[in-house]
Amino acid sequence: MFEMLQYSFMVRALIAGVLVALVVPMLGSFLVARRYALISDSLAHVSLAGVGAGLLLGLTPIYVAVPVTVAGALLLEWLRQERRMSGDVSLAILMSSGLALAVVFANLARGANADFNSYLFGSITTTTLSDVITLAIISLLAALFVRFNYRTLLHIAYDEDSARIAGKRVALLNYLTVALTAAIVVLSLRIVGGLLMSAILVMPVVTASRFSTSFGATIRYAIVFALLSVITGLSIAFYAGVAAGGAIVLAALALLIGTVIWKK
Amino acid sequence: MLQLDIDNVSVSYDAETVLDAVSCCIHSGEFIGIIGPNGAGKTTLLRVVLGLLKPTKGSIARKDVVVGYVPQRGNLYSGAVPISVLEVVMLGANGSKAKAIQALAAVHMQSYAHKRFTELSGGQQQRVSIAKALAGSANVLILDEPTTGVDEHSQTEFYTLLRDLHAKGTTIIMVSHEVDTVLKLVTRVICLNRTILYDGPPEHFEADKYLPGAYMKYHLQLHHQHGDAHV
Repeated sequence: MFEMLQYSFMVRALIAGVLVALVVPMLGSFLVARRYALISDSLAHVSLAGVGAGLLLGLTPIYVAVPVTVAGALLLEWLRQERRMSGDVSLAILMSSGLALAVVFANLARGANADFNSYLFGSITTTTLSDVITLAIISLLAALFVRFNYRTLLHIAYDEDSARIAGKRVALLNYLTVALTAAIVVLSLRIVGGLLMSAILVMPVVTASRFSTSFGATIRYAIVFALLSVITGLSIAFYAGVAAGGAIVLAALALLIGTVIWKK
Repeated sequence: MLQLDIDNVSVSYDAETVLDAVSCCIHSGEFIGIIGPNGAGKTTLLRVVLGLLKPTKGSIARKDVVVGYVPQRGNLYSGAVPISVLEVVMLGANGSKAKAIQALAAVHMQSYAHKRFTELSGGQQQRVSIAKALAGSANVLILDEPTTGVDEHSQTEFYTLLRDLHAKGTTIIMVSHEVDTVLKLVTRVICLNRTILYDGPPEHFEADKYLPGAYMKYHLQLHHQHGDAHV
């Protein structure tokens, strides 16, 4: 366990992983409650298009992916709120369009395929200090957002109409939620990978739901399960030499299966 | 005292008119049952009154109104993440635990405070929805088909609770398919089929005259299956 901490790339990966594990369940619990969990998958696919565009243009991929994905998230929410397009339809359209663009951009950016693969499945060696700092800032913003809007976010998750009737700023908070989710998704790409993003958002929350009777407790337990999954997964990735995203998701899956067996 | 003034409200989607020139005044302490066939615009009218839908024409004036809304059972929370009963009621109480517990006691659900909302029966969930409204000091309670899919015993308990709240001065507006029950419960009936067909006391309402035969036949079949009226 401590051997891997002698490598600076591993320390960066662990710090980034811990940040992801702290913040993703906070936003994820509200999204899962609203049956909107697949948004992270759709946004991850859009972010891959941003990464592909960055590689093609020779720019830092993450800095292209963040605005592209946030714009995709806002479009998605606009389609849902203003155009009454059902959530699963708009998610499916965005997901396939994002991946199609990502594949085409990655093919055009010849020689960048190895780098692109690390965004698909996550990699412990590619997280830079700048990635960690950006992730820390966005994670802090997301945590403050949830802290100061917790009750309204819960009201929206419980029943959007009743939150509107109570005079809550539902549309604004929905746009902010998806925009922050988009930013977190992009910054988690290095660790979890675009193709496995929804698993880290959904599995710890579902595992936590088996133990709790309240929403607040679910978030706290989900953070614990996400931390366990990320630390275990990154350790496996280091010692077994496998993709970080795959190892993290399998660790989260093992926890879920374990709790299902334990709490039948 | 006048609480809601619905003035010449129309709602259209493209070429289809869902509500046509609906006008009525609602005063404090009234218990209003809104009935009508499927597609009559009952839920649309509620959404306009609740401010969730802007009318194409007309206006709604509200005076000293704090609305509590109890949605259809199918629209109640059923997500995968547990929310406790206390958390639900605290949403209405602006975060006050004391107010929430008091409101739960008013609907005889205080012993369920730490249960998951989704584990309750349909009738219990509706009582919690009322507690959430009461915790927010609602003086107008708006209910959309509150007892659909709720068992007979729970319906009777639920209607008794509504009677108690009405007796304490709460204005109640309820959309329902249960025509017989509505007629026994309310102080005023509004029969809607895109426009108002009848607006008056329940004892003068002639169901055969205002409701289509097919609707009444279906309704009577339901009663035949489930027993008599549940009041």
